[in-house]
Amino acid sequence: MTIRSTKPNHSSFHKYLFRSSIFLLAVAFVGLASGGIAAEIQPARADRRVTRRAIENFTLVDQNGAPFTFEKLAGKVVVVAFAYTTCVDVCPLITAALRQTQIGLGAEERGHVQLLTITTDPEIDSPKVLSTYAKRYGAEFENWAFLTGDPAVLAQVWKNFGVGVKRRARGLIDHTPLTALVDQSKAMRFAYIGPSPDPHAVLADVRALLKQQ
Amino acid sequence: MERRFACATCVSVSWLSSGQIFLLLLVLAGCGRNERMDLLYAERCMNCHGSSGRGDGILAARLPIRPPDFRETVERKSNNQIRRIIGEGRGTMPAFEPALRPAEITDMLQMVRFLSREGRDIAWWERFDTLVIAHCNIPWETVLGYDDKVDQTKP
Repeated sequence: MTIRSTKPNHSSFHKYLFRSSIFLLAVAFVGLASGGIAAEIQPARADRRVTRRAIENFTLVDQNGAPFTFEKLAGKVVVVAFAYTTCVDVCPLITAALRQTQIGLGAEERGHVQLLTITTDPEIDSPKVLSTYAKRYGAEFENWAFLTGDPAVLAQVWKNFGVGVKRRARGLIDHTPLTALVDQSKAMRFAYIGPSPDPHAVLADVRALLKQQ
Repeated sequence: MERRFACATCVSVSWLSSGQIFLLLLVLAGCGRNERMDLLYAERCMNCHGSSGRGDGILAARLPIRPPDFRETVERKSNNQIRRIIGEGRGTMPAFEPALRPAEITDMLQMVRFLSREGRDIAWWERFDTLVIAHCNIPWETVLGYDDKVDQTKP
């Protein structure tokens, strides 16, 4: 016959409590660590900056091979993005955000707002390549032009907007991920620097500039 | 179509000389996964498709359409279909034809196949994919000696 003690076994209970705490702490640590890593590797939203920078006139070539003069956009609000078609980094996000911005514009607003995508890789981005690229994103050419041109002219345009461009290899370009908002008097008023400008923020700023007219 | 290529390779090999077979084996030996393919994949594909082709790259969550998991989609596609997607792009995926040489696009295709097999049972015909792709890239004219210079001094 065995005699069982009625006294609660405090030592095993404490061990259980200690082990549980360790386990919970480990789970919390792993959770926080993975959350931290996830937060770290997620591309951040674009940084919005208020600015005032005069933009000089330029003439480039659009997706149809026709000359496109910036001067003719006077009186319109212009959203300018810098991207290139073989980009595997931020450009797909920038172009997708611009498409969302275009979708968000009302019928009347479209007449007063122009979207521009200016290439940072004229070596590859011919008008034909740009046209195919634009169609893949569903871009409507009514108020969105994709521009390329002579590398020397483009270099001047990049400089004008403060965009740095460095060629790493064929079809691999490092460049400032800029989306800029230019007002009716051709001054850059907002700069969104980063991979994913928020279309809602861009639309709000566009509408604010339209009201200023 | 792919099986036909594999058969053609076997028939071709049967009447090659030992030197030609050696050259052929040399070409085929270079067709496994290698650093060149890994680097190309890391540079051009990994941001969206993820390091193991599961569509979980760092940009994937922000794209309008999430990239596919290669293990679920690639098996059903022919090499030509994959090559066309790589070359001409699709949706937000860039068209790589203007930027890459055909050999580099072949490397990308190989990588897509390799990654699509990781962690799943592969069908018997998929074991020959590498051979099929390699067959298409063998410089047959060199192997068979068709592009040897003709000796003009001989009568």
